[in-house]
Amino acid sequence: MKTKYSLIGLLTAAGVSLAACAAPTAQPAQPAQPSEPAATQAAAPVEISLRWRTRPDNKEEADVYAKISDEVAQKLGVKLTYEPGGSETSSYQDVLRTELAAGTAPDVFWIPGTDIADFVQRGLLLDLRPYANATPGYSDSNYYPEPMFHLTYNPETGKPGEVLWGLPRDVSTFVLYLNMDLINEAGAPDPRELAKEGKWDWAAFKSTAEKVNALGGDIKGYGMNAWWGPYGAFMNAAGGGFFNAERNACNLNSKASLEGLAFARGLYDAGIAVPYGEDSEPPFRAGKVGMFQNGRWATPGISTVTFNWDVVELPKGPSGHMGNWLFWGAYVVNKNTKHPEIAWKLVDALTQADVQAQVAARGTNIPSRVGESVFAEFLKILPDKNNQAFLNGLADKPTAEGPLWTGSWPDFDQVMGAKVSDVLTGKLSVEEFGKTVCDEAGKAFKQ
Amino acid sequence: MTRSTFASASSAPGSGRALTLLAGWHVALSVALVGGALATLNSAAASEALRIAAAIGLALAASGSAAATLFIARRNHLGRTLSLVVNYIVFLACLIGLAHTLGVFMGLDDLADYMARGFPFGMGALFVVGYFISTTALHERPVSLARRNLGRVLMALGAIGFLLTAGVVPALASLPGKYISGNLLPLALTAGVMTTGYLLWSMWRGESARAMGAKNIHTERLNGWLFLSPNLLGFILFFAGPLLFSLYVSFTNWDSFNKRDWVGLDNYRRVFNLTVQALKTANQPAGDVIDVRVYDELLRANLFGQSYLIGAEDKRFWISLRNTLVFGLLAVPLAVIPALALAALLNSRLPGMRFYRTLYFIPSVAAVVGVALIWQWMYNSQVGWINYFITNAISLINSVLGSNIKDPQIRWLADSDYALLSVVIMSAWQWLGFNTVLFLAGLQTIPRELYEAATVDGANPGQQFFNVTLPMLAPTTLYVLTTTTIQALQVFDQVFIVSNGTGGPGTSTLTMTLNLYQNGFQSFRQGYASALAWVLFVVIFAFTLFQFRRQRRASGAYDM
Repeated sequence: MKTKYSLIGLLTAAGVSLAACAAPTAQPAQPAQPSEPAATQAAAPVEISLRWRTRPDNKEEADVYAKISDEVAQKLGVKLTYEPGGSETSSYQDVLRTELAAGTAPDVFWIPGTDIADFVQRGLLLDLRPYANATPGYSDSNYYPEPMFHLTYNPETGKPGEVLWGLPRDVSTFVLYLNMDLINEAGAPDPRELAKEGKWDWAAFKSTAEKVNALGGDIKGYGMNAWWGPYGAFMNAAGGGFFNAERNACNLNSKASLEGLAFARGLYDAGIAVPYGEDSEPPFRAGKVGMFQNGRWATPGISTVTFNWDVVELPKGPSGHMGNWLFWGAYVVNKNTKHPEIAWKLVDALTQADVQAQVAARGTNIPSRVGESVFAEFLKILPDKNNQAFLNGLADKPTAEGPLWTGSWPDFDQVMGAKVSDVLTGKLSVEEFGKTVCDEAGKAFKQ
Repeated sequence: MTRSTFASASSAPGSGRALTLLAGWHVALSVALVGGALATLNSAAASEALRIAAAIGLALAASGSAAATLFIARRNHLGRTLSLVVNYIVFLACLIGLAHTLGVFMGLDDLADYMARGFPFGMGALFVVGYFISTTALHERPVSLARRNLGRVLMALGAIGFLLTAGVVPALASLPGKYISGNLLPLALTAGVMTTGYLLWSMWRGESARAMGAKNIHTERLNGWLFLSPNLLGFILFFAGPLLFSLYVSFTNWDSFNKRDWVGLDNYRRVFNLTVQALKTANQPAGDVIDVRVYDELLRANLFGQSYLIGAEDKRFWISLRNTLVFGLLAVPLAVIPALALAALLNSRLPGMRFYRTLYFIPSVAAVVGVALIWQWMYNSQVGWINYFITNAISLINSVLGSNIKDPQIRWLADSDYALLSVVIMSAWQWLGFNTVLFLAGLQTIPRELYEAATVDGANPGQQFFNVTLPMLAPTTLYVLTTTTIQALQVFDQVFIVSNGTGGPGTSTLTMTLNLYQNGFQSFRQGYASALAWVLFVVIFAFTLFQFRRQRRASGAYDM
């Protein structure tokens, strides 16, 4: 009996293995494909694997991309495989880099703006300029100029415009998400009105945070998360920044950068901010934080809260600007793709206005194309909210989230992030930070 | 039957002609494998390291095959062993290569996805139902033949339906196309599978064994190696191979993509490069005494009134080493001592103990990522449960006792003074259950007679614990301590999740494995990361060796 069962098991296993020889053809939808002759197979649609990043807890966005993938496939007459990338916490970039090293990365993929230089200098991306030049209607000026500077930067000549490493998927920028119930209860002036009147600056912002904080209990006036974006905005608003103008040296110890950091530190010293290092989103969503600094990607999650919420642009700092970021990421093409032309067509199709509008409708990001019609469409999303705050942020000289063409961004960020964390948690003074940070972070520029 | 009479002129397995043919096969195989090794070395199809590794593997197989030829010619049983080993490896290589060429692995992936959703799953269920009916019928008295046959029919229908719906028919139809597509590889691999398969069968048979002078002990050894082979091959391919590769990489500046220059011991030099400089004043800037283009200030110390500054070329390595050791020093006792106490409690015969044994084991089988995320929420200083309980407890104490204890509002993961401790508590909690089960198993092997004798001698429970339980648990304790220490020194998942991969706040949760990961997979310094991995290996090895030696001394003392 045991022999019989072993034989049946063996035969079944062999059968399954055999069936696997033609598994893609074994699916009910396409039963005849596996047995097609080789000549027919050669004429079959070209298969391109596509992966891009989705944000955590956002399956809906992944579904939108899957739908777009099907539509683009039909439009281009090719077969696309959409692979939803992992969330931010599952190290999307680390996984992608490992796949690139192993030669198993997809043909087209999304990477954040900070990674462009690293990927280009390791020879991982295809220059799309020849394909773009041959495409009617294509122009670099269709997109925000800040990301296009980096996406067209030629590291060999040091000039922009000569090459094309990809096209921006979307852009985003910081705003302050407001708990209007808390702000009204605290008797603070409406930040949106102050912004309209041009009175929304650091002093007004701090005053509002203090008033909300004074409500007592575990209520906090302000919250931001622990990464380079939020504190970088304070440095930018003070007129400083991470790098010098040429982006080839550390600028964290400049007077303006330190002023911005000192202002941020003051929020923590005064106890009006959610402790640095804590995720500020849960307490904000729990109705315990007056103002929460984050990008457009936080909108879907926050839109589910039960209190009265809205957004306002960042307050203006001593430089007279908000110091906001222009966050962006791009679709790029794997240098080892076997179908470079189709891959370019895919990238181009994915960044068309109608496709970007479908994604933007989810509320997670802002189209990377420029133009009044694009802005008008964006303003229609969540019409009762102050969408204009995002556009104002993008219009007020934002600093583009940018790669380091003459250094290593991960190395720079590791040193800067640890030191800033020490400052904002009270372990290191701003002065000490200024004395040592560039000695350590500056080593990132050696490479 | 003597060897000479067995080696007759027939071509049956083990016959003289068959063995001569087999020797010829091994000559041809040796030549082919040497050719393959040379071709692999000169190929540009894969990375250099892979080519070298493959060429070494092929050369070793060629040597084995050549040696097999000689021993077979002498009718030495070693020839049979070598022939079986070489043919087994070639058979597996051809089989895996054929499966890959025919797209079986990718297809299985697709099938798994399809079957989880589709009809074949139902067919599989039919097979299981048939099996159930058939086997239960056998247990009836009298045996219900009708039900047994019904079960068999259902099983057959299920198996056939399963294969049909999984697509075996179109697959079979597509197979010839893959063989006649102009690519000779599937044909060659199939020939390889069939040839080596036949030779394996032939050489395995008793006639061949006797003809080659193999004794029962040789056959038993081969059986042992055969059973061991899946694990052994897996170990060589997926553990020992990468381990040696990482040692090689640690002497290069490989970035995973392009450059891989031999840099000798430079990575190790950078890891350990320190400078110690005397300071004129305690606050003298680091830039005055060390070259800040190379070194970062690691720490300042005062010895006998003289201030010193220690600089490190890789400051993060030393910080991660300190954090890892502190983590181990805190987490190991926390995960071991309470586990022993808990095991002693669960070893009692109180009602409900089985339920509690299961309950305490649950954290050990829970996914680390899920556990870390839940703890992250609990640790939130604003809306987390831990601070909520602390606040309420303090309020209660203050109201009952009239005291004025201040709520500390600990920022568990946001304060660098508490972050590592938070991870220690979380990890110890998760490891506790597994250690408890190990201790429990150890406790249950201690003979009751020892306790009875101790009771007769007048030992109280405390004395029994220290003089009977602990010494008898020594081997379990060593195992628990060793495995927990290794786990602690390799801590990664927990810190990666709670610090979002940064090792923050500051560098307070930067452990050696996280630092290694950041270097290898974020900054893509694979060479340097490999060097860090080997340093970590040495640290763990040193700790383990220390524990073993200590245990040996303790055991010796006990034995005396």
